[in-house]
Amino acid sequence: MKRWIFLLATGTLAAQPGYFRDIRPILQKQCQGCHQPANKMSDLDVTTFDAFKKGGKRGTAIATVVKYLTGETQPRMPLGSPELPAADIAKFREWIAAGAKDDSPVETSSSQPIVYLQPPVITALRWSPDGSQLAVNGNREVIVHSSDGKRILHRLAGKAERILSISYSPKGDLLAAGGGTPAQFGEVQLWDPRSGKFLRSATLTNDTVFGAAVSPDGSRVSVGAADNTVHMIDTATGKELFKNSNHEGWVLGTVFGIDSKRFVTVSRDRAAKLTDSNTGAFLENVNLLRGELTAIARHPKKDVVAIGTEDRYAFVYMMDRPRNMKIADDTTLIHKIDRQDGAITSMDWSSDGSRIAIAGLSPVVNLYNADTGKLASQCKGHSAGIYSVAFSPDGKQLATGGFDGMVRVYSAATCQLQLTFSPVPLSHGNPTGAGQ
Amino acid sequence: MRLPLLLASAAVLAAQPVTFLRDVAPILNKAGCTSGPCHGAAKGKNGFKLSLRGYDPQFDYEALLYDLSGRRFNRAEPARSLMLAKPSQEIAHGGGLRFEKDSAYYKTIYNWIAQGVPYGDRAKDTVTAIEVTPREINMPKPGESAQVNVIAKFADGATRDVTKEATVESNVPDVAKVDVAAKVSGERIGEATLLVRYQGKYSTVPVTILNPKPGFAWKPLPQNNYVDTHIDAKLQKLKIQPSPATDDASFLRRVTLDLTGQTPSPDEVRAFLADATSQKLKRAKVIDKLIARPSFTDYWTMKWGDLLQTNRKFLGEKGTYAFREWIRESIAANKPMDKIVRELLTSSGSSYEAPASNYFRVTRDAKATMEKTTQVFLGVRMVCAQCHDHPFERWTQNQYFQMSAFFSAVGVRPGYEIGEEIVFDQRRDYEMKHPKDSRVVAPEFLIASTAPVKIPNDPRRRDALADWMTSKQNPFFAKSIVNRIWSYFLGKGIIDPVDDIRASNPPVNPALLDALTKDFIDHNFDLQHLIRTIANSRTYQASFTTNEWNEGDAENFSHAMPRRLTAEQLMDAVASAAGARPAFPEVPVDTAATQLPDPHVGKDGFLDLFGRPTRETACECERRADFSLPQALNLVNGKTISDAVADPKGRVAKLVLGGKADSAIVDDLYLASYARLPNKDEAARGAKYLSGGPKTQRAQDLLWALLNSKGFLYSY
Repeated sequence: MKRWIFLLATGTLAAQPGYFRDIRPILQKQCQGCHQPANKMSDLDVTTFDAFKKGGKRGTAIATVVKYLTGETQPRMPLGSPELPAADIAKFREWIAAGAKDDSPVETSSSQPIVYLQPPVITALRWSPDGSQLAVNGNREVIVHSSDGKRILHRLAGKAERILSISYSPKGDLLAAGGGTPAQFGEVQLWDPRSGKFLRSATLTNDTVFGAAVSPDGSRVSVGAADNTVHMIDTATGKELFKNSNHEGWVLGTVFGIDSKRFVTVSRDRAAKLTDSNTGAFLENVNLLRGELTAIARHPKKDVVAIGTEDRYAFVYMMDRPRNMKIADDTTLIHKIDRQDGAITSMDWSSDGSRIAIAGLSPVVNLYNADTGKLASQCKGHSAGIYSVAFSPDGKQLATGGFDGMVRVYSAATCQLQLTFSPVPLSHGNPTGAGQ
Repeated sequence: MRLPLLLASAAVLAAQPVTFLRDVAPILNKAGCTSGPCHGAAKGKNGFKLSLRGYDPQFDYEALLYDLSGRRFNRAEPARSLMLAKPSQEIAHGGGLRFEKDSAYYKTIYNWIAQGVPYGDRAKDTVTAIEVTPREINMPKPGESAQVNVIAKFADGATRDVTKEATVESNVPDVAKVDVAAKVSGERIGEATLLVRYQGKYSTVPVTILNPKPGFAWKPLPQNNYVDTHIDAKLQKLKIQPSPATDDASFLRRVTLDLTGQTPSPDEVRAFLADATSQKLKRAKVIDKLIARPSFTDYWTMKWGDLLQTNRKFLGEKGTYAFREWIRESIAANKPMDKIVRELLTSSGSSYEAPASNYFRVTRDAKATMEKTTQVFLGVRMVCAQCHDHPFERWTQNQYFQMSAFFSAVGVRPGYEIGEEIVFDQRRDYEMKHPKDSRVVAPEFLIASTAPVKIPNDPRRRDALADWMTSKQNPFFAKSIVNRIWSYFLGKGIIDPVDDIRASNPPVNPALLDALTKDFIDHNFDLQHLIRTIANSRTYQASFTTNEWNEGDAENFSHAMPRRLTAEQLMDAVASAAGARPAFPEVPVDTAATQLPDPHVGKDGFLDLFGRPTRETACECERRADFSLPQALNLVNGKTISDAVADPKGRVAKLVLGGKADSAIVDDLYLASYARLPNKDEAARGAKYLSGGPKTQRAQDLLWALLNSKGFLYSY
């Protein structure tokens, strides 16, 4: 009896090609390289069923796909590759004849926390405004630690694989986590960090988003994206208030001005742009173009920003640039900071305004005197690049994380290493992380 | 679901450690990630850049792991790594499917990420050598196949079969084709070389596919010297019967063109044909006679002028003449090649009083001077290595700068006279800096010489370079000169292109090249001796008529290959055939095209149309031998030929005014343009044509027709 059912089932399957099992793998292997959101040839995207069904500018895919595959319509697809085997083309024919249905299983997002054999690279960490929490990215989650690193308070598991930025609202009632899954989607998640409760999220663009920053008034979150856009999200609703495309490269960092009314974005296009937080209207360029910009931090009490570059320099600029200033006038530049030993990835400004921390692909965090722009001290201990650096709210400590997956906490005054811990619960394997 | 998978892979790993150097980097190369059109492009692709063909594994490691906070890998969930999801098309990849999810490559990279992305140990995981089997492939006929196997040896002594990951390419795919699994199939009769590459190590495998046609019986031809011995040995092995020596008239025209750039006069042809001495002897005699002529000096001065770029654009008018005169005197005195090169490389002083120093005024930058020096005198192209390690050779970017450092102290400053410059050695701040990190690069020879030369740590380090280059032990110097000179006589180098000597571009007849090289060294780099040896060989003197066994051969010098006259040869041949020389501006009347100082004279005219080198670079490729429609139109309609043919003091005018008989006029015109007498039919038809109308007009027509025919336009 059992045997008979089995035969029947496979017989049916073989006779009727399905989207998920038969069509989708062919589209993935043969078609999506050119017909994907990032490279939409003929305006066609085949990476999802809906987009495929909708088709491109040559008509619905259902109506045209077989003609293109057989060469009845030129150019024959896949372009520049051998014709598909007849059996594969037959699958398309039969699937369309049977109604071109989507039989994909409902996506099962796993709610159970991931088991870690190795720590993920640390890309984001932030202290809560009251200093009680240290939030660090995991894989597909944000892990909220007690600030002494001894207890995990909450695990904020979400959809995005990578969390690239974390930002608390000044009141400490909101945590924004920005990131996404590379080459798939970007996401801004909003959580209540006190309870660990998920509030809402916004999905944006086809790639991860960078530099999420909550405005000082807590009303909105700004992020940059890999498609050169900047997005503003309303924290109360998760809705996008606006987006703009003023940049010409990936936008890797954002920061608000003191009054929340304006914000600055930095991009690989070398520009730091000052923008109106309500309208998204471009106001001024903050800097003279030098290297590609990767990081930004603001003075705690003044509209002064520090920006860091791929080619290892950091600059401190006044956020506002008088309108009558001429091109190439650089009088709003306050400091140019020494060349670092690696590309700059992250910066933070201490809450008393006295220190700027600069981290990058060299394993050392350099602390600068914000008034003079001179090196004050160096915090060592990492074995590879550092991707995130944060001062504790009281200014006494400095937390860092990077390639080796370990959180390190230093005394901000002496750079003495006080604490090293893995932000994720390691179940097995290599407790010291994975170095070279 | 996730947990057991990870544990299982962790277990596999414990047994088999994976490192980037040993295991992952080769996959990036084989899967095409690091190729030029993809992420190996100068600006990378889609924001992700790797080093071209993976020459810099450290850079690639950092790009994969550090860029954008480790975007491309996921240690916590290896299968979700972008560097796996993209090439397997789980996530849309513009570069297409590079490997399947169930492939060995996927698993290797997966395991590497799961093991914590170790880079590996340079002292253990570096490939030290590759061993390729078989060493050579011989197929009795097309249609057969053979498998190439590649074994890599690592620094720690381990070996591994890397046949699948190695890149095996054929230099002539329509002779020997290679598939991705390194299987070679013989496509047609001929020879090819396989270049095998694996992680910066190279090897070559010669492939020979013989002619299966039955009935081949080697018919020995007389051998004039060792050139013919080596050529015949190879031809016999390949079942190719060479063509015998060509007839005297064709030989005289060919050898006069190749030695002097001129065509023989009707009297010279008649005298040579009438000489009853044995063929071998009288040909040797005429070769000596031609070498002794001033036109030999002019012609070879022009050839070296091309390579040394005698060009007023770089040197000014006076400098050009001074440099050219220095070359001329060197050729006239038959100065040994090592001496010429030494004088050039060590020259300093006034561009007027020490003319060899103009060498450094053409390429004023140390790097450009190095590129030129290695290309012209070693036949090695270093230019690729300026930005990245050479993709087909062992030359590294470091070596590019080490070699350039020999010239880094050379300075050029204004002299006292107008246009004069002084080449001198700078005493400070002259070190060569590496572009990556500005560190000082000390000079170092491309490869160690068996006769060690000490490099002084002072500005005169180029003296040491001259010692190394011109040493009899230098493996490139004599070989490249011999090869280049050979190409001037046979139309093609034994290694071709002549200025691109590398492992992946092997000689078609290594024994011949070695013998010529040794002879050249044994005769102290005597150019005239070398030229004489080549010109006297039966191989050089062979007919261009083929037989059933050598008609398909274009590589092994089994018959002559007709060559279009070069621009200067053609112009001088027109002048000599028509008996009227077109005048060039800025030079004395009656200056031959082969005597012009530089490409400024007669610019954009007939000579440039026919491919005269512009002397902008030291590349042999500047001289064009193509045939184009504008050239054909110029020959038919252009002023150069029509003026020469109709010149009132020219050959036709003299013949007609001299009252010569029609048959004598026809004979003379054939001798003047083809360097042979007309055959019976040609003579009869020519005479008939001349008698059918106004003589001058008709004789001009005949000459014009001859000059527009292949018998005139080609050397054969």
